[in-house]
Amino acid sequence: MFDFSWNMLTYFPPGISTYSESLDDLFRLVYWISAAIFVLVQIVLVTFIFKYRTRPGHKSIYHHGNNVVEFVWTLAPTVLFAGLGLYSDEMWKVMKYSSRVPSPDVEIDVVGQAFNWNVRYPGGDGILGKRHARYRTAQNLFGIDPTDVHGKDDIVLTGEFNLPINKNVVVHLSSVDVLHSYFLPNFRIKQDAVPGSWIDVWFNGTKPGKYELACAELCGSGHYAMRGVLNMQSDADFATWMDAKITAKKAILAAQAANPQPEVATPAPSSAPPAGEHGSSH
Amino acid sequence: MAAVATTQHDHAHVATHDAAHAHDHAHHSVSFIRKYIFSTDHKTIAKQFLSTSMFFLLVGGAFALFIRWQLAYPGEPIPIVGKWLPDTLVSNGAVQPGFYTQLVTMHATIMIFFVIIPMATGAFANFCIPLMIGTDDMAMPTVNMVSFWLVPIAGLTIMSGFFVEGGTAAAGWTNYPPLSASGTGHTLWVIGVFLVGFSSILGGMNYLATTLNKRAKGMRMFDMPLTVWALFITSILQVLGTPVLASAVSLLFVDQVFHAGIFIPENLLTSTGGLFPSGANVGAGGGGQPVLFQHLFWFYSHPAVYIMILPIMGIVSDILATFARKAIFGYKAMVFALMAIAFLGFVVWGHHMFLSGMSPLLGTTFMLSTIVIAVPSSIKIFNWLGTIWKGNIHFATPNLNALGFISTFVCGGLSGIFMAIGPIDVYIHDTYFIVAHIHYVLFGGALFGIFAGVYYWYPKMFGKMYNETLGKFHFFLTFITFNLCFFPMHMIGVGGHMRRIHDPYVYEFLKPFQPINQFITIFAILMGFSQLILIFNLLWSLKFGRTAPRNPWRANSLEWAAPAHPGHGNFDRDITVYRGPYEFASPQSKRDYLPQWIRPAHVEAGQEVAVAEKH
Repeated sequence: MFDFSWNMLTYFPPGISTYSESLDDLFRLVYWISAAIFVLVQIVLVTFIFKYRTRPGHKSIYHHGNNVVEFVWTLAPTVLFAGLGLYSDEMWKVMKYSSRVPSPDVEIDVVGQAFNWNVRYPGGDGILGKRHARYRTAQNLFGIDPTDVHGKDDIVLTGEFNLPINKNVVVHLSSVDVLHSYFLPNFRIKQDAVPGSWIDVWFNGTKPGKYELACAELCGSGHYAMRGVLNMQSDADFATWMDAKITAKKAILAAQAANPQPEVATPAPSSAPPAGEHGSSH
Repeated sequence: MAAVATTQHDHAHVATHDAAHAHDHAHHSVSFIRKYIFSTDHKTIAKQFLSTSMFFLLVGGAFALFIRWQLAYPGEPIPIVGKWLPDTLVSNGAVQPGFYTQLVTMHATIMIFFVIIPMATGAFANFCIPLMIGTDDMAMPTVNMVSFWLVPIAGLTIMSGFFVEGGTAAAGWTNYPPLSASGTGHTLWVIGVFLVGFSSILGGMNYLATTLNKRAKGMRMFDMPLTVWALFITSILQVLGTPVLASAVSLLFVDQVFHAGIFIPENLLTSTGGLFPSGANVGAGGGGQPVLFQHLFWFYSHPAVYIMILPIMGIVSDILATFARKAIFGYKAMVFALMAIAFLGFVVWGHHMFLSGMSPLLGTTFMLSTIVIAVPSSIKIFNWLGTIWKGNIHFATPNLNALGFISTFVCGGLSGIFMAIGPIDVYIHDTYFIVAHIHYVLFGGALFGIFAGVYYWYPKMFGKMYNETLGKFHFFLTFITFNLCFFPMHMIGVGGHMRRIHDPYVYEFLKPFQPINQFITIFAILMGFSQLILIFNLLWSLKFGRTAPRNPWRANSLEWAAPAHPGHGNFDRDITVYRGPYEFASPQSKRDYLPQWIRPAHVEAGQEVAVAEKH
């Protein structure tokens, strides 16, 4: 009929981040523990149902329970589950604790916008320009501070973007409208993008290729199509791609300098403008 | 008494009363409206809750089938009903993306707020508590009536969203802002949830007052059946938890209507992508924090999970003991486990928010507190197994559903371990793994328990027996189709399949899952239509069912001391409790049960059978 297995471990998409394998291992551990408990309980249940079914002459016993047994089957799951929780905490720390995030090789900003993923690279100077929500407009999704020189050469892409393999990538994640969730199935990472907050996500991809980026938090009618593509490249390929972007950006900046268009760099008023009226700041 | 058998039961119980006692006859002159519509009789209110929830079960189920159809055959017209739906919802009969988000929102909202909670705490608490503690009615009958009538009003309020501009609520049943912070449909949702929550609080207070103050003579707390214990503890959750939900939705209302910006951060781009109706200006307030809503929402909604499951655990315990003809294994352990689940339920809400951006240190805390809930849950499972151990198990429909509950609840409980563990939750959060889990707990758990309870108390509710063959047929069909429908959802969840997506096949990595989605849909449709057997059975048996005896299951708890179809005031004899509710196979008695209300003198004289069966 079609490819179907009752073993859910066979359904993982290929894992390609440094921690995807240990996360899958943790999943497998929990899976086998649960599967064992599940099978055991079902066997006991079915055995009891069969063995103690009503039939002529069969009687139930008068029995109200046993405190020793209660103690044992309280203690056993406590030890097992608390142990499992403590054991898993290490993995949680690796993925989430800021103190455990490795020193970043690449830093980017990502903002969700219904229904697109937008990415900002630091550009030629290697520094992400300062940003603040009050500068945000539909043309300046990241709210790049127009007075900061580091922001001028930043490169902004939508939908499809590239990153190098074997590098610690730190993503500063936010949203410009509603909640989104940044989900890279192959990297086993997911993080809500919360408007008004910048949250760090880190990963290190080990295999080149195109990987899908999904939105995992309902963000409106177009939520299902909020798809991005992350193109993981070797160091050299990434450098070539990045250089081309930097060169193109320089050309644009040079053209603007030669023929200044006043509205490009106009800052928004310092008090927050009414949202929804983007483009009204000039 | 033969008179009870007639369909004119009201006359029958007049006769019963006249013959037996001479107390309180004021109710015999009440009008039709006060008797059947604005009734203050707990049994009528229970039936009103039951029928309202059954109606909403069909509506919510139909929405689920629309969702399943779209996932299996995206873009194809919905069979039969597609062509009748307006163009704002469907295009050429196929579900539009906006309608899809409304469907997932309304399916869950209806099933949680208008089916499971009213069924578990409305129908069963109303019917069982007064009868099982041996009293005539609730402590506050009028409050009880108000508590019911808030539910249809709330339901209509939420459903009316389909007829306003912009459509009904479409931000998921969790209704997170900023998405939910504008639009008339979302405001109606907030009002509806506030009202249904108010109903829940009124009900909870009433159940607490009744249980504490109106128990029959001789009944200590530890003489109460586990159903009453579970409903009592659930009521505490309702009274403590629901006000927090009320505060969350009230603040959201202030954001929606007055643009206060409590949950809305500075300078959002609100006109992008047609998200908000034109003119909506939710970002004006600024400086708010959307995650605050999640904290408030889950501070209620995690305990709400236990509001939905604890009463079921109580019901299942009583049914298992009765049909295994054996005492509950570890009665006090069961009570303490209920208390532990209820207490822990208040300190684990953060596991819904592992990805919300809250401090990862809090994540560790919530991970440990959550995983500890597996302990009292395990205790319950083990004690249920202990209860049927060396029993004499009868397989009437209520017991089949109760045994089915154990089987599926184990699966739902174990899949919960995965999401309790933070790092694993990072991957499976918002995927079909969660959808599988919640349906194993709320359908496989709560709904099977509700079915068990409905069949079990049907004779006492309506004075008739349901049809056993249809009941068994309904159970086996539901059990098989349920597992084939929901188990494969774990698989595609591990495959990364997100929830709430209108067309999964936009993604390359989800394309291979379409056949599995079709498989799921086929069994979802079969399961949906299987429920018509239940509805038919319940309605058909009202008229054509065999007349129920007073104690058809030979059970011990007090509701079976009441006449087969009790009238207003419930009992036709004085009730005194002499023992616990689980004296099955007691050596004191020649029969395999010994009801709570039988006098020790009668037991010693060997007359307990005659007394218990006396009509």
